[in-house]
Amino acid sequence: MDNTAKKNQGGPASWFSALSAHPVLWKRMMLAVTLVVLILFFVLPIVRLIWLSFTEDAVPTWQHYNEVLSDAGTWTVIQNTFWMVLGSTIMTLLLGVFMAWLITYSDIRAKQAIHVMVMLPFIIPSYIITLSWTQLFRDSSWFSGILQWLPGNLETPDLYTLPGMIFMLGLSNYPLVYLFTVAVLRKIPQELLSAARASGSGKWTVFRKITLPLALPGITGGGLLAFLANLDNFGIPAFLGIPGNITVLSTAIYQEVVGFGPSAFARAAVLSVLLGVIALLGTFLQWMLLRKSRELETAHEETGPRFRLGVWRFPAETAVWVALVFISFVPLSSMVSSSLLSAYGVDFSLETITFSNYSYILFENEKTQGAIGNSLMLALWTAVTALIAGTILAYYRVRRPSTLTRSTELITGLPYALPGIVLALAMIFTWMEPIPGWNPGIYGSIGILMIAYITRFMILQVRGSMTALMQVDISMEEASHVFGAKGLIKWRKIMLPLLLPGLISGTMLVFLTSFTELTVSSLLMSAGNETIGVTIFDFEQAGYTHYSTAFSTVVVVLMLMVIGSLMLAHHLWKKKVVKT
Amino acid sequence: MSATLQDVRKTFGDTVALSSIDLDIKDGEFIAMLGPSGCGKTTLLRLLAGFETPTSGNIRIDDIEAVEPGHMVPPEKRNIGMVFQSFALWPHMKVKEQVQFPLDHHKYVPDRFKKQKKERMKEVLEMVGLQHYADRMPNELSGGQKQRVALARAVAAQPSLLLMDEPLSSLDAGLRLEMRREIQAIHRKTETSIVYVTHDQSEALAMADRVIVMNHGSIEQIGSPRDIYSFPQTEFTAGFVGKANMVPGTFTPEGFHPLSDTDIVWPCTRVASTFIENGTFPVRPEQFQLNQHGDGLKGRVVNSQFQGKEMHYVVEVQGHSWTVDTPADVQLPIGEEISISLTGIETPSPSQTVHVYS
Repeated sequence: MDNTAKKNQGGPASWFSALSAHPVLWKRMMLAVTLVVLILFFVLPIVRLIWLSFTEDAVPTWQHYNEVLSDAGTWTVIQNTFWMVLGSTIMTLLLGVFMAWLITYSDIRAKQAIHVMVMLPFIIPSYIITLSWTQLFRDSSWFSGILQWLPGNLETPDLYTLPGMIFMLGLSNYPLVYLFTVAVLRKIPQELLSAARASGSGKWTVFRKITLPLALPGITGGGLLAFLANLDNFGIPAFLGIPGNITVLSTAIYQEVVGFGPSAFARAAVLSVLLGVIALLGTFLQWMLLRKSRELETAHEETGPRFRLGVWRFPAETAVWVALVFISFVPLSSMVSSSLLSAYGVDFSLETITFSNYSYILFENEKTQGAIGNSLMLALWTAVTALIAGTILAYYRVRRPSTLTRSTELITGLPYALPGIVLALAMIFTWMEPIPGWNPGIYGSIGILMIAYITRFMILQVRGSMTALMQVDISMEEASHVFGAKGLIKWRKIMLPLLLPGLISGTMLVFLTSFTELTVSSLLMSAGNETIGVTIFDFEQAGYTHYSTAFSTVVVVLMLMVIGSLMLAHHLWKKKVVKT
Repeated sequence: MSATLQDVRKTFGDTVALSSIDLDIKDGEFIAMLGPSGCGKTTLLRLLAGFETPTSGNIRIDDIEAVEPGHMVPPEKRNIGMVFQSFALWPHMKVKEQVQFPLDHHKYVPDRFKKQKKERMKEVLEMVGLQHYADRMPNELSGGQKQRVALARAVAAQPSLLLMDEPLSSLDAGLRLEMRREIQAIHRKTETSIVYVTHDQSEALAMADRVIVMNHGSIEQIGSPRDIYSFPQTEFTAGFVGKANMVPGTFTPEGFHPLSDTDIVWPCTRVASTFIENGTFPVRPEQFQLNQHGDGLKGRVVNSQFQGKEMHYVVEVQGHSWTVDTPADVQLPIGEEISISLTGIETPSPSQTVHVYS
């Protein structure tokens, strides 16, 4: 450290420079501060939650568990959750693996376009997708008209049921399995399959003995990820299950807290611990599998087609496109058309079109305006904080791997591994009275939302930044040192220009997820601090479908604008610097 | 004196990467560090650069203590330049920006360059023949051109020590020979000390003033390329640099009796003491001669490879396999019984320690 010049100056800066003249001491202090902050924000809430589920007025007790587990209602809830998660996970696996296999190995055309279409439901929040399907399937929609016109007494399916929830979860989360499986399938070297063929085994044997065993850890990992997403999801059970009177664990916790019954918090804590334990077990299993499938990671990805569909290519392409376009656009267009109607049940025609819902949301209703402002601000701050803090954590994790940096990754991942509703409850317990008898006023303000968003989504940025960092060879950094630049100059001139596109994709994910967040906000919001997700949920619960659809449309348009401008920026950057 | 290493040790956990290295690098000297992968040569280079801290020992660069107990000068404050194995060109910078970067940031840039950065940049690019490529991006350059940019960047600030980490290993064979000449030319022009790490003995022998042969974290031998090649001090150097066959036998005042055959005597006035102690005699493939008749050890041809200007044979003699290079016109079928003898022996340079058996 070259601070000898500053050393003898007096004033408030002197202790600082004295400290930085001792790099080891300085490093230790930074490390200690980081650890304390991480534990305070990321670990303590979970400890608080578990503690509360086991105590009554600070006295340890099993009472809450006894109470909750002996309640027949709890078992119905657990049963519902079990079937919902099982059904939707099977659906995501079937859809995801099939699509992945078709895209990676077949000679189907326009793979890039199909890929984007598959990923679409991943970007749009699941409650908006659900809202759009309810509009497609409502009694007076054009779709139900067609079904009635067709012979056979067809009716639009009722989405407000367990199968309806399974269907929506499956559609929302299959891109997870798809993404995972695509990566795994591409990493299986074509040569391994060719070697098996050359050793005399047929196509089916190759699939059974080579492809499947190699792909299985990856597919199972993707399936577990989907399982966790299905378990964590709050939007779909809230939008479909609450009106349909089918309660699952996430909505049960929500209703306990919102209902404010006697010992509601303790009961919610017990349910949360149950849900949290299942989720953490799933995460642990997934992590183990991921470690196992790492063996393939060194192999480079092969993207060429591995089998030809032949005469089946055109029919297959047609089927895939019809299905994808239907899934992606038809419900959304129903949602848009609903938003253009003045009242529920009015037939859609040129005369009935009105923009009054939009003008109400955008210009007349203070609550929606406030929600857009709040969500925008929350998303922006969350994204910026995560970008800076997450990238610093990622830097140390990638460049100085140690037990310590690995555990910081684990700690930051914890709030995301927990279901959102569980984290929200833990946040309430922590920030209502951080120290007994002292309420800093964070709970009930927008501050608690900010803390919750940052802790929950930080890991997304950490992972994004880690990926970006791993793609920048360490020699880039070493060259910068050799030629005289370290610290700020190194970051400004070398690291940021190289990392930015990679960092931004993580930041975009954090921004968009925060922008449309529903689960955590539903428990943590307070009057005047509503977010977009909560406002749409409120409209829907109150039966103002034309407002909820209009607001959802606005949100989707805003999101597409953000994504579009970022993609444009990325494209411009890529034109300037093509990866070598 | 450009750089000095004193009793430098480096361990990673339980593994010893370098054990007690002492080395003087003279001003303007071209030193090649030669050894197989894992021998510690790259670690040594990274210690000189400042990317690693030695476990113990001192390093001086240009009369400045770069490393002493409890203190280390980071890379950006050492008067060094470096050429990386993968070139490490920053993909977002034009060629001229790459070269100008050290001029902007290096701590030891001479004042005359500081005042005229543009001129210096052009001068250096001209030195490597890339004056017309100043506005190109790295991805618009061929492998050889990237290598030249990396060289230009490394010498731009005129460092007193230029470090090269296997700089030619990612180029194809033809380009490698061309770049050798380029590096030699740059060395002549800049008169900078160079430490050049390589596992390719022909690269080391071709360019260096002194070659340091390394193995298992320590220095096996230091010497001129000619001495290293002709007069190895250890079995490792003999094998790694000269691909020598180790012929067991007995040393007597008359000479060396290969395979202790008292009828055959090889002159052995110039063999290092380690070989005499071990009772082995290093013979490089081209020092053997194969005859269909005549005196010498009796053996049998077990393999042959035609190499254009020469033949590579594997000969089996009393259970030992030796490689023998002969002129291409020596044609022997596999299975042929031959007799094997010694041809020319070199005369050592005055500096070389010669052990005369007496």
